[in-house]
Formats: sequence, C-alpha cells, structure tokens
Amino acid sequence: MKRTYLGEFEEIVLLTVAVMEGGAYGVVITHEIVAQTGRSVRLNQIHAALQRLEDKGMVKSEMGEPTAERGGRRKRLFTVTAYGRRTLQEIHEVRVSFWNRLLNPLKLTTSL
Amino acid sequence: MHTTPPKLADKLLTLFCAPHRLEEVQGDLHEEFDYQVRQLGERRARWRYWWDVLGFIKPFAIKRQSSDTYSTAYLMNASMLRNYFRTAWRSLVKNRFYSLINMTGLTAGLAVGILILLWVQDEFSFDRFHRQSANIYRLENWAGTGSSRQIWTSTVAPIAVMGKKELPEIKDAVRIAYNGMYTLFKYKGKAINEENTLFADPTLFSVFDFPLIQGNPANPFPDNHSIVLTETTAKRYFGNENPIGKILAGTDRNAFKVSGVIRDFPKNSSIRRDMVLPISLLFDTMYQNRTDGRNRDNDFATFNFDTYLLLQPGASISNLTDKLRTIHLRNKPDDTDLTYLLQPLPDMHLYKADGSEGGIETVRMFSIIALLILVIACINYVNLSTARSMLRSKEVSMRKIVGAAKSQLFMQFVVETTLLFSLAAVLALGLMYVLLPAYNQLSGKELVLDFADERLWKIIGLTIVGTLVASSIYPALLLSSFEPLKALKGKVSARLSEAVFRKVLVVAQFAVSVILIASTFIISNQLQYIRAKELGYDKTHVLGFFMRDDMSKHYDAVKADLLNQPGVTAVTRASSNIVQLGAQTGDNEWAGKEKGETMFVRPVAIDKDFIPFFRMKVMQGANFTGTVSDSTHFILNETAVKAARINNPIGKSFRLWKRKGTIVGVVKDFHFASMRQKIEPAIFYYDPSQMWALYIKTTGQDAKQVVAAAERSYKQYNPDYPFEYSFLDDVFNNLYKSEQQTGLLFNVFASIAILISCLGLFGLATYTAQVRTREIGVRKVLGASVTGIIQLLATDFMKLVVIAILIATPIAWYAMSRWLQDFAYRIDVQWWVFGLAGLLALAIALLTVSFQSIKAALMNPVKSLRSE
Repeated sequence: MKRTYLGEFEEIVLLTVAVMEGGAYGVVITHEIVAQTGRSVRLNQIHAALQRLEDKGMVKSEMGEPTAERGGRRKRLFTVTAYGRRTLQEIHEVRVSFWNRLLNPLKLTTSL
Repeated sequence: MHTTPPKLADKLLTLFCAPHRLEEVQGDLHEEFDYQVRQLGERRARWRYWWDVLGFIKPFAIKRQSSDTYSTAYLMNASMLRNYFRTAWRSLVKNRFYSLINMTGLTAGLAVGILILLWVQDEFSFDRFHRQSANIYRLENWAGTGSSRQIWTSTVAPIAVMGKKELPEIKDAVRIAYNGMYTLFKYKGKAINEENTLFADPTLFSVFDFPLIQGNPANPFPDNHSIVLTETTAKRYFGNENPIGKILAGTDRNAFKVSGVIRDFPKNSSIRRDMVLPISLLFDTMYQNRTDGRNRDNDFATFNFDTYLLLQPGASISNLTDKLRTIHLRNKPDDTDLTYLLQPLPDMHLYKADGSEGGIETVRMFSIIALLILVIACINYVNLSTARSMLRSKEVSMRKIVGAAKSQLFMQFVVETTLLFSLAAVLALGLMYVLLPAYNQLSGKELVLDFADERLWKIIGLTIVGTLVASSIYPALLLSSFEPLKALKGKVSARLSEAVFRKVLVVAQFAVSVILIASTFIISNQLQYIRAKELGYDKTHVLGFFMRDDMSKHYDAVKADLLNQPGVTAVTRASSNIVQLGAQTGDNEWAGKEKGETMFVRPVAIDKDFIPFFRMKVMQGANFTGTVSDSTHFILNETAVKAARINNPIGKSFRLWKRKGTIVGVVKDFHFASMRQKIEPAIFYYDPSQMWALYIKTTGQDAKQVVAAAERSYKQYNPDYPFEYSFLDDVFNNLYKSEQQTGLLFNVFASIAILISCLGLFGLATYTAQVRTREIGVRKVLGASVTGIIQLLATDFMKLVVIAILIATPIAWYAMSRWLQDFAYRIDVQWWVFGLAGLLALAIALLTVSFQSIKAALMNPVKSLRSE
C-alpha cells in the first residue's frame, strides 16, 4: 500500500474536517473533537495537525469571512482534498477487512 | 460587554508567530477566548488564553514562510546567510587539521594581543579619571646651570599661594609633601608605622577626584591635628567602627583626630597614599623657632612641595610660567637659573618631567608587539586559506556555473572566516581568563576582566573586528574571483603557485620573529650588563636600616655590641642609602665658581670607616680620620671634581651649606642610582648627628642571626617601632624591577609570536607536502634520496626565511639602538646578535618544515601514487 502515513490524531482531525463539510476551522474543529472524543485538545495541536495534513496534501484551505468575536480577523477554512478522501477511504477499508475477518467480535470485546 | 484577551500575550504572539499565520491563529485564539469567557468566566479565560498562546511557541507556528524567489540581489538574505553558515561549518569540520592550526594561532594571538592591549589601556588611563584632569598641571622648575641643569618636580611652598592670588588663570592649587615626620600611629593597642602618608592642602579633595565619603568637604581639616584616612587604612585601625572623631595617638604626645575618610586612591592614580595630614601642620613644625625669619609665605629656598595647579580652560601655559617666574624672582632675585614649567597631569605617568618620553616607550613597544602578534595570527590565516584555495577552486567554479554571483561567494568566504574567528574569540576569552592571574604577576598590574566594563568590550570588539577585516578580505576576494572554466580545467594552479603575496607574508612573519629574537637577546644582555657592571663599591651581604634618635645617640655602644655578634664583619653608618642617594643641593661654593653657576651635588654624611667598608677607592688625598677636624673636610667624587673644574683638588676650599672647609680626598666614581642615569656629583662630609643609616657587613652565612641581633639592638632603644631593614642587594635589584619585568614580558610575548609564526609555517609546509605527494612519489620511484626530497621541500621556505633575516636585521638594529639610548650606561649593539637570531629563526623554521618534509619523503611511493 502506497499511501502517506497518517497518525491517529491526524486521522481524527481529518475525519472531523470531512464531517464538517467546508465549515471546518481551528476553533470549531477543537470543540468538535472535544465533544466527540472527550479528550482535552489544545488549539495549537489542531493547528499543527492541520498544517501537517495540508503539507501532505490531504486538506486544502482558503481564507473565510471575518467575524466580530475574532476581532475582525478571517478564519482559515479547511476542506478535504480528493487525496485525503481516498486515504480515509483506504484506512476505513483496511479496518473493515480486519473486522470482517474477526470471527467472534463479541467474544473479543468481553475478553477485554 | 466585550472583553478583550490579555494584551501582553497578544503582543508576545505577534512577536514570535510567523506573519503569514498570524491572522488565522490570532483569530482562532480570540474566538476561543470569547467562548471560554462565556464558559469559565473572564479570569480563568485569561489564564487559559496565556496557556493557549504559549502553546503556539512551536516550530510550525514560528517558522517564516520561505521565499519563493530564486534569485535575490539582496546579499544578506536570511536563507542565503543560513546557507553560508552551513557550508562554512562543513568546510571547517572537513578540514579539521587546518581549522585546528588556524584556531590555535588565532586563539593564542587574540588572547595575548588583547591582554597586552588591556595593559596598554591601563597605562593610558593613569590620572585621567579626574573630571578636571585636562586642566590640572604639575608645576616643576628647571634649576642649575651647565651639566647640572635639571628639572625638579617639587617647588617652593609660597609660589602656589601667590600664583593663585595674583594670576586669574590659576583657579586653585594643591601642595603635597611627603610625611616622614609623623609615622607611628596607635589605636587601642594597635601600633602601625605608616610609611606612606602625605601632607596636603585641603584642596586635594576638591581639585582632584578624591572625594570625602565621610567628613566635611568644606573643611576637611578642622585643625592641625586632623587626619583623613583612606577606607582601607581606617579599617586597619577601627575595623567596622565609625572612624570619624576617633583619636589616633602618635609619638611625643601628638594625637590626631580622624576628620574624614576617602575612598582608596585608585590604582591608576599617580598620587597614592594611606593617610592625608594637613600641610599647615608641616609648616607649623618647619617654621616654629626659626631664627632666620623664614616662614611659609616667604621661604623661597625649600623645594619640598609637589604643586598641582588647576587652570582656567584655555589658559596660556608659556605666559603663565613666565608670570610665575616673575613672582619667584621678585621674592628671591638670585634664583636667575630658575624657570618654571607645567606638565599636564595625564602626562605624568608616561612622560618624564621635562615632557620627554618615559614609560610611553614601553607602552609603545608593547602596543607594537600586540599588533605584531595579531598580524602574525592574521597572516597565518590568510596564508593557509589562500594556499588551500586551489582545493576549493572547483567548488567555487561549480557555484558560479550554477549561478552564484561574485558578491555572494565573497560573502560566503567572509562568513566562513567570521565563524572561525567567533569560535577563536570565545576560546580566547576563556584563555585570557585562565592566563590573567599569571599575567598580573608577570606585569605587576592588577587587571581584572570586568565584563561589565564597556572599555573591555571596546578593546575586545575592536581587536576582533580589526583582525577579522584584515584577514577575511583578501582570501575572500581571491577565492571569489576564480574563473570557472579555467579553474575546472585545472589552470588555476599555475597562477596560484606564483603566490608572491603569500611569500611576502611569510617573509614579513619571519622578519618579525627575527626582530623579536634579536631584541630579546639585546634586552637581556643589557639587563645583565647593568646588573654586573662594576658599581664602584661592594654591596654584597650588606644589611642596612635607619636608626632613630635614641639609637643614633648610642651608636658606639650599638656598634661594639654588633661587632661581637657572630657573622658580623664590619659596621658603619652614613646619612643615606648608598644604592639610591636622595637629596641634592645647589647651596655650595668653591674657588673658581662662576657667577650664576649652580652645581647640584648629592651630599652624604659618612663615618670614617664608610669608604673601607664599601671598598671604595680613594683616588687622591685621604679618607676621614675620625678627629674633630673632619667636620671641615670634604671628599668629592670624580664627577664632582670634573663638574666644578677644580685642578689639584686636595687642599682647595669648598663650602657646603654653612659648612666651610677643604677638600681632603677624591673618591672614585660609584653608581648611586639606576644605570639609566649618569653618575652625578656627590660629596662626602663628616657629621655624626646626621648619620641615621646603619650598615652591617655580614659573612653571608649567619645572615638570620645578624638580623635578629640587629633587631634586638633596635628594639632596645625603640620598642615601639617596627624593625625594618633591607639587604642592599635587594634594594639594588628593586632599582631594575621595572626593567626586569619589561624584559621578562618581552621574552614571553616574543616566544608567543614566534610560536604562532611557526604554527603557520607548519600548516603551509603540511599543505605543500600534501599537494606534492604525487611528485614526491614519482621522484622516489625514479631514485631520489630522502635527503634530496627534504631539501627540495625545505629550500623554498628557507629562502624566505633568509630574506626575512636580511630585512629584519637593520630594523632590529635601529629599534634596539633607540631603546638603549635610554640607558646612560649601555652595551654596544653587536652584529653577532643578529647572526645568532637569524640562525635561530632558520633553525626553528627548518625544524617546523622538516617534520612534514621527512614524513613526506619517507612515505611509500606505492601508496602515494595510488592515492590519486
């Protein structure tokens, strides 16, 4: 498999961006991840991850509209690129194929 | 209500965050803050904001956007600079051996150069710390006629007062006199003999920057028995008690009340004492019970006072001295030989009284050496980097072909030099720090590396920048000027092998070394000469000390007692220390003295056994006999007879002060001062009441016992006073202490300079051997002998060294003749010295070069031929 390696955190950020469909930027991504996973995430971590994803070509960004609570500053809005989408897809497929080969998933969970 | 996030945190963010990211990051942070204010309240949100901002101090947020433009005309472009540093570092690490040689040379050169310059700066700082130093002058006078004409740095007392009163140019005056009168001070069981004190006008504390830290500046001496102490002196007596108002007991029911404390006199002050007594006390003591009518306002005959004048800015010096002379002559018309002169205070330390060069010569000599050492270190760098430039011609050519501009390549090599220099500078600072204690001991200074002192940084900065500029420009120009096509075809080597410039530098380097070696020889020869020169008296194993009143009165008993001690062979006495006679007088007369003529003689009262004691030679006439008639007899030295132009002196009449008598003898000239000075007229007279100095000749074996016996005898009469004695040999050595120090320092610096030169030569030789590996291999295969190859490699360098010797000899000869001018008694500069120096330089160079040559010659040709 020839795809760029994605860290677990990057994957979650990428998924979040994908879910938000064009409305994703630093603060809302942070809040969303906090809400969905319950882990404490800091803004700088999100920014760093977004930048890495952009460097890898998984997301692209453009500047959005300024708002009052931002002190009149614009936000950088992220969208997932085709490459990013395909990568997510591949990750998902790999996972699913493993899950499918697991004969007794219930047993696994109870034994955990 | 809209709350804003902490301003300081925002400012911090704009400071470090990359500009192209700032907007989104700050926007997000503000939005988050807004959200958190609603969630947590303002106070915690502010904390959280700080926390979030700090989180962005990460490379991803700080890193600036790389510029997309490929060609930039701007030389200092950040990414280009980064590249320069990277390549510079790589090349330094790649050529470890040469970097090490360069670094060692530069570090040693910089450290020693800067240390010398610090010394020089300290010398120049003398007496300049006074705010008014530019307007303070020392008043001196020319006195005497003919060969006796000389400068006295001390003047009569009234001239200061009258000058200040009558002449508007003189703002203020300070008179200072040495205090030998009140030396013993006691406080609560502590008794200290203070040898280093002075009498002064109260203006001492206002004209000079010696401010009182305790006491009343308007009236530092409330009465004659007031005393001002330095901090250290005050601590010596009173510890941590407040010294003001304390009583110091002196002798003879004298007592002094401490009326002020000043900071210790700075180390770079020509005036440095421990205590200051009011000069009016000296006047009172001097002029009480005088029958000749002299007092402090009319005594124009006692030249005992150092006078400092504070002048109005821009006052005419020559006018002023004329006016002072007029005042003097009005009060004492027969002083026609006297003229006044003024020496600026800052010149006092480095120039002699008449304004001619004194210490400045040494300062200049050392400045030149510092410069030479730095130049030699720079030459090393320039030579090695240009010699090895051939190896980099390909790199340069590639860069040019890819599109590097000449200016960029120039920058690249300048940065490379800068990097090496910075490393060397840091190491040099460390080295200086380590060397400083030894250096201080050697130079007799108390220098400190005070990194808070801007003057230190000025010197360090100027030195480093100066050497950097000197050694970076030429190699950088040369390297950046290669023509790529020629260089890639290998044609550059032909041009470089000419390298006249490099040869010139090597010659210069070795010329300096030869000069330094020759100078070292001559200086040490001269120092040896003055120490071994026949003094005209025998001072070996002689111990001397000054008696006080009581002991002097019982001299005969003391002498008999001492002669009984084991180890004592003879005892005698005189009025002063024979190694360094002090006082001088022009108050004399003889048959044949012309009107207006003044001859200054050094009068010494001696006992009848003084001349045999010191094994002096009586040339004519006889010694004193110990009878009453001696008090009207004089013995002159040869110089005095010559200066007074007396033929057949025996039996001629002579007057010294009020003492009239006849000349009974002539003694052979003897040296009673440093060899820098000519022997001056001296006269012996006989007056037991003035013979304070006691001399004991010992066998040399029982010196300790003799000292103990002398001390016992001394304490018997003066239990209060500490016994202070010295061996004449030590006193004599002290005369040449500064010369010895200079000589030693010169040796050390010269060795370092030579060492650094050799280091450079070593590097060059290594390089040459390396480049010629293949040639040597081929020669060996064809049958060349090892000696033949060594010759081949060494001859080139030897030629340069020989040229250097030829150039250096006349320069060294000139410089050393000038240095010797300073000594009245000196060696001739002999030619063998230069021969020896040249030979030594040649040997050193040969040794340095041959190490590499032999290595190259012994190499197995199979290996060397296969290597390329």
